[in-house]
Amino acid sequence: MKGTYLGEFQEIVLLTILVLDENAYGVSIQDEIGSRTGREVSRGALHTALTRLEEKGFINSQYGGATSERGGRRKRYYQVTNLGRSALEEAKSVRDKLWNSVPKISLQNIHG
Amino acid sequence: MNNSPSKFFTKLFEQFCNDSFYEELQGDLEERFYINSEEKGIKKAQSIYRSEIIKMLRPSVIRKVKYQKLNNIAMFKNYTLVAFRNLSRNKLFSAINIIGLAVSMAVCLIAITFVTEIKNYDGFHENRNQIYRVFNTRTNRGSEPQVYATTSLLTGTKLKEQSSAFATVVPIYNGFNGNLKKGENSFSIRGLFVGEEFLDLFTFPLRYGNAETALDEPFSVVLTEETALRIFSRSDVVGEILERGRAQFTVTGVMANPPSTSHLKFNAVASLKTYETRPQRPKILSDWGTMWQSYVYVQLKDNVNLEQAQESLNLIAKEENTKSEAFKIQPGLEPLMSIFPGDGKFNQLGTVMPKKNLDQIVILALIVLFSACFNYANLSIARSLKRAKEVGIRKVVGAKKGQLYVQFVSEAVIVSLLSLILGFFLFKLIRPEFLSLNIYTSRTTTLNLTTEIYCYFIGFALLIGILAGTLPAILMTKIKTIKILKGISGIKPGQGLTLRKAMIGLQFIFSMGFAIMVILAEKQYKHALNFDLGYQTENVVNVYTDGRDPMLLKTAFGKLPSIEGISTSYFLHSTGTLNSDWAKNIAGTDSAYLYNNFIDTDYLENMNHQILAGQNFNMDGPGNQIIVNEKLLERFQLGKPDEALGKQIDFLKSRKVIVGVVKDFHYGTIYNELKPYAFVLDKDREMYYMNLNVNTTDMAGTLAELGKVWEEIYPGTKISASFYANDIERTYNDLSSALKTFTLLAIIAISISILGLLGMAVYMAESRIKELTIRKVLGASLSNLVLHLSKSFVVIFIVAAAIAIPVTNYLFKELVLTDLEYTNSVGFWELASGALITMVIAFLTISSQMLRAAKSNPAKSLRNE
Repeated sequence: MKGTYLGEFQEIVLLTILVLDENAYGVSIQDEIGSRTGREVSRGALHTALTRLEEKGFINSQYGGATSERGGRRKRYYQVTNLGRSALEEAKSVRDKLWNSVPKISLQNIHG
Repeated sequence: MNNSPSKFFTKLFEQFCNDSFYEELQGDLEERFYINSEEKGIKKAQSIYRSEIIKMLRPSVIRKVKYQKLNNIAMFKNYTLVAFRNLSRNKLFSAINIIGLAVSMAVCLIAITFVTEIKNYDGFHENRNQIYRVFNTRTNRGSEPQVYATTSLLTGTKLKEQSSAFATVVPIYNGFNGNLKKGENSFSIRGLFVGEEFLDLFTFPLRYGNAETALDEPFSVVLTEETALRIFSRSDVVGEILERGRAQFTVTGVMANPPSTSHLKFNAVASLKTYETRPQRPKILSDWGTMWQSYVYVQLKDNVNLEQAQESLNLIAKEENTKSEAFKIQPGLEPLMSIFPGDGKFNQLGTVMPKKNLDQIVILALIVLFSACFNYANLSIARSLKRAKEVGIRKVVGAKKGQLYVQFVSEAVIVSLLSLILGFFLFKLIRPEFLSLNIYTSRTTTLNLTTEIYCYFIGFALLIGILAGTLPAILMTKIKTIKILKGISGIKPGQGLTLRKAMIGLQFIFSMGFAIMVILAEKQYKHALNFDLGYQTENVVNVYTDGRDPMLLKTAFGKLPSIEGISTSYFLHSTGTLNSDWAKNIAGTDSAYLYNNFIDTDYLENMNHQILAGQNFNMDGPGNQIIVNEKLLERFQLGKPDEALGKQIDFLKSRKVIVGVVKDFHYGTIYNELKPYAFVLDKDREMYYMNLNVNTTDMAGTLAELGKVWEEIYPGTKISASFYANDIERTYNDLSSALKTFTLLAIIAISISILGLLGMAVYMAESRIKELTIRKVLGASLSNLVLHLSKSFVVIFIVAAAIAIPVTNYLFKELVLTDLEYTNSVGFWELASGALITMVIAFLTISSQMLRAAKSNPAKSLRNE
């Protein structure tokens, strides 16, 4: 499999999709990332990340319903797969371990 | 502004976005737009929409270009294989195509080499873009202005003294010719007297000697390495002494041999300062109007532009032109790189190929090339019927139009490359013929092959392949698959027939055109050679005396039994040399240019001139005698020949008396009108030519005898003698070379057309075999069949002839005859015969095929019905 490495931005996108649960599609993911992280993400950058994630098998997608507001254009909804979930957990555990290994004194400096 | 997102950007996005996700992406963008227009206003929403689309220009979004990398290599292998199979299966057609293309390529290869070489002339000078030459436009009073490549040396001196526009000024005098003596041996050289900055301005590196000072002192000479080797058998000869006439020159440098692509050609250059040491300032240095053999090359200063430089020249001209009333001179500047090929200036330094020559060769090469390409296209289209099945199957299996196109074009490229190889050998064969075509090509080009030229050759072959293959490729790709596979051939034998007939017609127009040109040029040439000049040129041998004592030679030659008459003259008539000067009528105010020559007392009788009044020159009489022609009498209104005797005119700075009148004769060539003419008596003049009237017909023997006599008197030198007829022939070199060129081209063009015709005939015979055999079975005779088959071709020929004849007639008149004063009329018979010959050859070609078809056994061809 080509690279199971999970990039930082990709991690955020995965988490956002999980947060959005049933309602994860382009516009909503953009809004959610924007409000939660303060990052303005362009639709194109998001598309690239989603494509990569789908190639790695971390997410699934399918067409949703067409509404008149979108001029009849269907939305594409995304869900995280089991593989994606386990990649997230792995990434989280790696980070937790690292955090735990940091000597208390350095952490105090950071907090101070 | 609209309530909906920008249509333009939407369309743009649709164009570059991958189809699979266009819907969702554009939908999201539009949804975003509407949200934004509520929250932030329409303007902001639009601008966000646009920038979002720009940001969509990323690899994951953009459409995939049809990139079939792996596929292409395999396909090319297949195309090559199929192409070769095709070639070997249709050996006759392939041979016709390859040979036809090869022949035309050979011609084009010559043209390419030629043009490359010519364009690179003088390109080796470092300063080439800043070097200019001063040229004079001279208007003699009462005549049209004429442009010369020369200018007076005075112009050069004045420029150096008065003008600040020039960094370097190099005057050149074309007069360092003759013999250089080293001890006992004499070597003939041709060279130039040049200003001391010659080696600064031009890039002629010295192998020995100091370039800064080599030409500073008078009586210095710089030899080319080849000349040094010739004279001294070694190159480091700085300091050696060479004698020229009574003067001694010191070799101050040896230069590396100049490249052949230099319009300045010389064996040696001597310092112009040599002339300044003469006690009296020679006319060539001081006279504004003495401008026949001198040139001035200049280099502009960096901050000076052409207009300013021209201003300096204009100032000088204004001042000098007031000093004479017989003529006005306007100097101008031409860039170094424009000198060669030339635009027709007089008195060029060395042999300069006229631009016309270059253009003509290129056009002719192109004509030949298109002819061959027509052939290829013609034959390929004709054979498309046979390949229809192949094309149909390829389409079914999934070939796109583009791929089919590539296949057929690459077949053409393969044929083209094969033809290139054959054509290259033909090129080597034709090369020496081309070089000896006319004096321009033999003296100025070498047609050497460089890597640059090889690259052009290959590029050219590729280009031709693509060009020739385009038409058949387009036709092939239009074939309708279903029709073919059903067995009903979508291509009738008649497909594209009109187009093909037009192409053959065009080929024949060119072939007939060339054939007619050959016949016309031949007639004109014969006319020029046999033109009655009004005096005797048969059985006359001219010997170049080179200024030696004519008395000595006269006595020696006079002893030979074959010599009937001997005379001398300053130069030879009717060989292109013309000498003229201003003459003034005393009994009136009229003045005119008078052409003239200097002769001895035997000349008029020896050359059989007809004296109308008065008598020959009398050596014991006064030194101001002249004998004039009838045209002068007309011009100065001197009355009848008898009345004109004793009248006086001012000529050559003295008062001359007319002692005789001679009948008008052609002192020039057929290019010159008859104008006033005078034979002048000049007792001190050196006669450069001796005319011997010979009474035998043994040419070789006579020349040998004369040679022996000469060598007895002047041992170690060779005689320079030729029959007058040959001298005249050499003058019409341009006509003879035009003849040669057209003959060569006619042969090539006709061969290519015949090849094409052969292919067409074979193909036609094959495809109409059923029709023929049915006709035969129904009772047609052999001649009926042949006639029937030939019908279509006859029409083409007649139309081609109808176009070729008037067009060629017009072209010949415009291009060749306008220069000539005395021409032969162009008769209908000459025009028609050219066309007829071509047609006859064509018919012979077709008839062989037609006969074969007509004789075929009906049983065999109808067997499958």
